Amino acid sequence: MSVETATEAAPVPKKGMNILFGLTLFGLLLFLWLLLGFSTSSFWTPNNISNLLRQGAMTAILAVGQTFVIITAGIDLSVGAVVGFSSVTVAWLLQHGVPLWPAMGITLLVGVLIGTFHAFGIVRMGLPAFIITLATLTSLRGIGLLVTNGSTISISDESFTNFSRADFLGIPSLFWMVIVVAIPAYIFLHLSRWGRYLFAVGSNSEAARLSGVNVNRTIYLAYILSSTCAAFVGLLLASRIGIGNATQAEGWELQAIASSVIGGTSLFGAVGSVHGPLLGAFILATINNGANLLNVNAFVQRIITGVLIIVIVYFDQLRRRGSR
Amino acid sequence: MTGLHDVSHRHEEGAATIAKHPVPKGQPILELRGLQKKYGAVEALKPANITFLSGEVHAIVGENGAGKSTLIKLLTGVIRRTAGEVFWCGDAVQLANPNDAISRGINAVHQEVVLCRHLTVAANMFLGDEMNKNGLMRKRAMTDAAQAVLNDLGFNLPAGALLGDLTIGQQQLVATARAAMRGTQFLIFDEPTAYLTRQESAQLFRLIRRLQGEGVTIVYISHRMEEVFELADRVSVLRDGTHIGTRNIGETNDAELIAMMINRTIEQIYHKETLPIGPTIVETRGLSGPGFEDVSLSVRAGEIVGLYGLIGAGRSEFALGLYGRQPVSSGEVFWQGNKVHIRNERVAMDLGIALAPESRRDQGLCLNLPIGLNINLPVFDRLSRGLTINRRSEIENADRQIKDLKIKTPTRRVLASAMSGGNQQKIVIGKWLSHGAKLFIFDEPTVGVDVGTKAEIYRLFARLLEQGAGIILISSYLPEVYELSDRLHVFRQGKLVASHTYRSASHEEVLTQAIGV
Repeated sequence: MSVETATEAAPVPKKGMNILFGLTLFGLLLFLWLLLGFSTSSFWTPNNISNLLRQGAMTAILAVGQTFVIITAGIDLSVGAVVGFSSVTVAWLLQHGVPLWPAMGITLLVGVLIGTFHAFGIVRMGLPAFIITLATLTSLRGIGLLVTNGSTISISDESFTNFSRADFLGIPSLFWMVIVVAIPAYIFLHLSRWGRYLFAVGSNSEAARLSGVNVNRTIYLAYILSSTCAAFVGLLLASRIGIGNATQAEGWELQAIASSVIGGTSLFGAVGSVHGPLLGAFILATINNGANLLNVNAFVQRIITGVLIIVIVYFDQLRRRGSR
Repeated sequence: MTGLHDVSHRHEEGAATIAKHPVPKGQPILELRGLQKKYGAVEALKPANITFLSGEVHAIVGENGAGKSTLIKLLTGVIRRTAGEVFWCGDAVQLANPNDAISRGINAVHQEVVLCRHLTVAANMFLGDEMNKNGLMRKRAMTDAAQAVLNDLGFNLPAGALLGDLTIGQQQLVATARAAMRGTQFLIFDEPTAYLTRQESAQLFRLIRRLQGEGVTIVYISHRMEEVFELADRVSVLRDGTHIGTRNIGETNDAELIAMMINRTIEQIYHKETLPIGPTIVETRGLSGPGFEDVSLSVRAGEIVGLYGLIGAGRSEFALGLYGRQPVSSGEVFWQGNKVHIRNERVAMDLGIALAPESRRDQGLCLNLPIGLNINLPVFDRLSRGLTINRRSEIENADRQIKDLKIKTPTRRVLASAMSGGNQQKIVIGKWLSHGAKLFIFDEPTVGVDVGTKAEIYRLFARLLEQGAGIILISSYLPEVYELSDRLHVFRQGKLVASHTYRSASHEEVLTQAIGV
């Protein structure tokens, strides 16, 4: 009954609404870049921009994977740990004489397995996503530390470590990896039926089930994609720092979730995109980068990031309410 | 109402205010003069003049979107009016917020129960008004007091039970008891019987009469004409936000009210054509599962098979079992003569079974997603070419269903949650029309749906039958299953207890079989 009067006043989402929102975030990003360009001399240097793109790239890929999970009204807290664990996995494999490509393949496969385990816990064991991914977060760090005996494994394969420093067409290869992930992710989420199923499951899984959507399979898909993205980031990180270390990427899961939410994803599910989290990740990276350049105390940086997350998401909420 | 007002303490001052201005029975207690509500440019309620008399049962009828909800929200202080005046006991009042309304003794019982499922019945009844002693809650005392009220009202409900463990109907009774307990002078019921069983409805009606006897003014909103005629003293009709008129119940009839509501005459709401019956589509033999036992029935092409019974009698459970949603423990299903095992929903869909489930909100729709996506959900595999969805077929399919079913929306991109009950039901049906099926199961298709849309849905049944489909119609509304079904099966406590052909039994007979007295 409460909805009936809304019939006449039904909100007509403007077609450009999503694009507009993307543009606004993009505008914010440009604004930050211009601001930093004026206030520091070192921001617009090729070195710094490359650095920024490299740093943002890894969060961006994590955020895209995270977004798939959040759209199904779930959460994946394990991605930071998966990144660290993957760096250990690939380093260990290389150390034990496994050739580079199989080593990377096996690492990604480990990501798939971790995602499968998450979905298994949720679908078969009936555990909340928050719990099962929290459990693997701590366990994976533990396994990684056991394997490395608490230290790090250095990677001697130069072709692997050079990759993260390489440029292609003047753009860091790490940033190209974002595009390599984002294009299939966009096709998957926005153009394929499986993307629609993610939204449907996140909105009302029972309705989706009764409409013939294989809800369990959809959940498996979301968590596998998230963990695989994380394993991929683990490879990129290992390449960048040249070591495998289980304690790396501490807190990146929160960066990924924050990027996703800044990018307009709803933690209640059924709302999200691919371009939003990408922009969110680079906005966060820019804030950190700028704060470094401006010599802001590292502890204060954390506070600023927190406050900005609240402000950005609050304005997003206001806009949504306003468009009703 | 001794048992009731004793336990209320917060509203004692409120009751005192009312006592200062006693409104004799039959005199105006609440008057609306030119009350108007606009949302932007949309006039949800055009200036209305309605007078509610003290101690009367005043029914308000109208189609979905007629402005009934707006009126309730204005009276309960949930939204603020755009223009006009409201007089309560002769004084102009603002009713600016819910507390303003509640403290004057204006309360509402909503169709969707707005209470806490994880608290006990007693805790809910005292919510926000708890009995305290030295800063600690007096749980025992509240449970006893709540139980006394429930017993006094004749509700057979345990005050210590968790609200979430009760049926929706029972929860509704708790909500009513809560309102009754709080010194209400003016009580609004918003389609209270939509989810109630016969017995629960009867209990509610007794309570309403009792409250009326104690001088409480009742506003009763319903789609069900027979309830209006049973309960009301006067009835007001709204249409498209306009107050069309108010009648004394003795001076009007069904036909006049319906004509006022929809501005056109429906020669027959229950439109039934005699169609040739074709071969058997589906047959169940001794099907059992959670909530139903040993059900054997069949559906043939061109016929409607009605399943009648009280809520919880096993009809919906049977439907979910047949559809593969719930595991079936024993029995057999034959589809067009062949034995089949329907393991899951996909198998059912691929055979050609469609299910429009009981609850649109919980099972039928992805409310915060667009109408188009909802309509296309079962058929995305067909709308896809390779990896991606064919955008044009997606749009065409959604727009075709919106047009064919006359879903009132400017575009397919509007969220399903913005639609009225009737239009939401059409979206659920549209899903299955685009999928196409041989057997359609409609579970309570007309709950919360206005008369005009009901007639449209019934005509749609006829169209499906003409195309050679069979229909299982599950309903708790007897006239509907009675008038539409070629064969009518009665369920009680999970079992199929009686079967009738079209109009071969009387209403009373069917009802008796369903209740089991």
